[in-house]
Amino acid sequence: MAVMTILKYPDERLRTVAKPVEQVDDALRGIIEDMFETMYGSQGVGLAATQVNVHKRLFIADCSENGNEPLTFINPEIIERDGLHENEEGCLSFPNVYAKVERAGKIKVRALDKNGDTFEREAEGLLAICIQHEIDHLNGKLFVDYLSPLKRDRIRKKLEKEARLAAKLD
Amino acid sequence: MSKAAPARAAAARILQQVLHNGRSLSQAIPSETERLTQSERAFAQAICYQVLRQLPAYEWLISQLIEKPLKSKVRIVHYILLVGLCQLRDMRVPAHAAIAETVEACTQVRQKNLKGMVNAVLRAYQRQQESLEKQLANQAALSPALLHGHPSWLVKRLQNAYPDTWPAICTANNQPPPFWLRVNSQHYTSAEYLALLHAKGIAAELDSQLPTGFASEHAAIRLLQGADVTQLPGFSEGHVSVQDRSAQFAAHLLQAEPGMRVLDACAAPGGKTVHLLERYPAIQVTALDADASRLQRVHDNLARMQVHADVVCGDASQPMGWWNGQLFDRILLDAPCSATGVIRRHPDIKWLRRADDIDTLVALQQQILQAQWQLLKPGGQLLYATCSVLPEENKLQIQQFLATVNDAEAVPIAGIADSAATGWQLLPNAEGGDGFYYFLLQKRT
Repeated sequence: MAVMTILKYPDERLRTVAKPVEQVDDALRGIIEDMFETMYGSQGVGLAATQVNVHKRLFIADCSENGNEPLTFINPEIIERDGLHENEEGCLSFPNVYAKVERAGKIKVRALDKNGDTFEREAEGLLAICIQHEIDHLNGKLFVDYLSPLKRDRIRKKLEKEARLAAKLD
Repeated sequence: MSKAAPARAAAARILQQVLHNGRSLSQAIPSETERLTQSERAFAQAICYQVLRQLPAYEWLISQLIEKPLKSKVRIVHYILLVGLCQLRDMRVPAHAAIAETVEACTQVRQKNLKGMVNAVLRAYQRQQESLEKQLANQAALSPALLHGHPSWLVKRLQNAYPDTWPAICTANNQPPPFWLRVNSQHYTSAEYLALLHAKGIAAELDSQLPTGFASEHAAIRLLQGADVTQLPGFSEGHVSVQDRSAQFAAHLLQAEPGMRVLDACAAPGGKTVHLLERYPAIQVTALDADASRLQRVHDNLARMQVHADVVCGDASQPMGWWNGQLFDRILLDAPCSATGVIRRHPDIKWLRRADDIDTLVALQQQILQAQWQLLKPGGQLLYATCSVLPEENKLQIQQFLATVNDAEAVPIAGIADSAATGWQLLPNAEGGDGFYYFLLQKRT
């Protein structure tokens, strides 16, 4: 297993629209394993393949308290949504940035699991938010797109500055 | 996706804001906990309150565990250590989780490089806990400031003012306050509202220490269990408010007749303004405060309780800027003060106030008192109030005032011994109210 590099905003590759997965095989399962290691290593609760520069429709999540419920979603689609909730979100591609985003409170998702079998799952709370957030990534959409241009610009400047500082330190 | 910023980093940032930047807890907590869940927010707050209550002990422990103080650039890590120690000493958090999560907080405050150091310090404390705590107890036996978690200057002032009872005051300052309610007498007597609470299965009791001469129908109610205030019967309609027992005596002491002009001179946030209008609905109240942003809370309070007052932004010590020349029948002067009576609610006060602030406040209070006295009708009454326990701001202040004016006389408070000479000094009490002071003055005709 290996920890992968997470693309950081404003990296243009985060805007790529991912392609459907045609075959769930060992190569893909290898990527999934690496993604889990990457996510757990950075205190994430969800990670889309797009964020590690793999442009396939695939994301992983673990929204449990103790980090022991790994979930894999391949070719996911949301088939039902209900209610609206505003919640604070963060993103591994936006270190230390948090913002309130309005999303459906309850959803039903259909996807393939890591064995290639279709499953449906209802979700609410943090998991529902996470699934919507990750599917956005697969479509090249980021949570800051829901914010005003002013706020988005402020976040971009902040992250660019931090990247410059980090580059200097290295 | 990543989860919102966790509680421990937020707690460290709050402590830094208070102890380093001099901001108050009530300013720092909202901005730093905005993105926490409700339970994380409560956890971060509990840590901050506990650390501020026993700060000298925590600082002593850190001084034993690290060789030299952390420099200003990495000072945030000092506050992370306070947060870690607090969990290990005083919170019901499993030690492994306390340490792991606190170490992780270093990343969130961008001090990844000091993770190892935080881990080592917290583990060292864990290993030596017994002997360190024993040494701390020995040290504390020699230092009242360390034992009671108060700054030395304040301990000295309390010792001078209360040679016998100062340790009890310090102890009460370190205990979380009980939950007091004020019943809107336009809707219920206290006994009626208490019955309503009991019917809902909420444990509560009437003020059991009400002095004689005070009407029990207006007694404060103490909740004996935690409750979400917004769920209390009639809360949103303004039938009940949250207000400490001691502060509730203001409207009782300043008795007003229908039609009287009443000035609430330092009104924000408006709790007492509203209380006056509940007790005496037919009076005309002017609510004055110098801080325009805090006056918004007066407007909010008046709106929630559906009562009217003229809200004026102005300086109580400079009436020329706002006064229309009409004298007042009653004035409530809840003067700006050291707030040393409400330390149990605001433990940050101990570290934000400095010894020389007291002289400044005493001078300001005298100035306001002199100015307000000019606005009072002959025969009218002025109630001087503070949430301080220091005599300089209270009985000495009034004695000074009485020595300089010739048309003021003290009005005794029924049931309170010596109140015409020294006023009524309430001390903080674990089961009772906050530290508070009242003196009632009347202008000779």
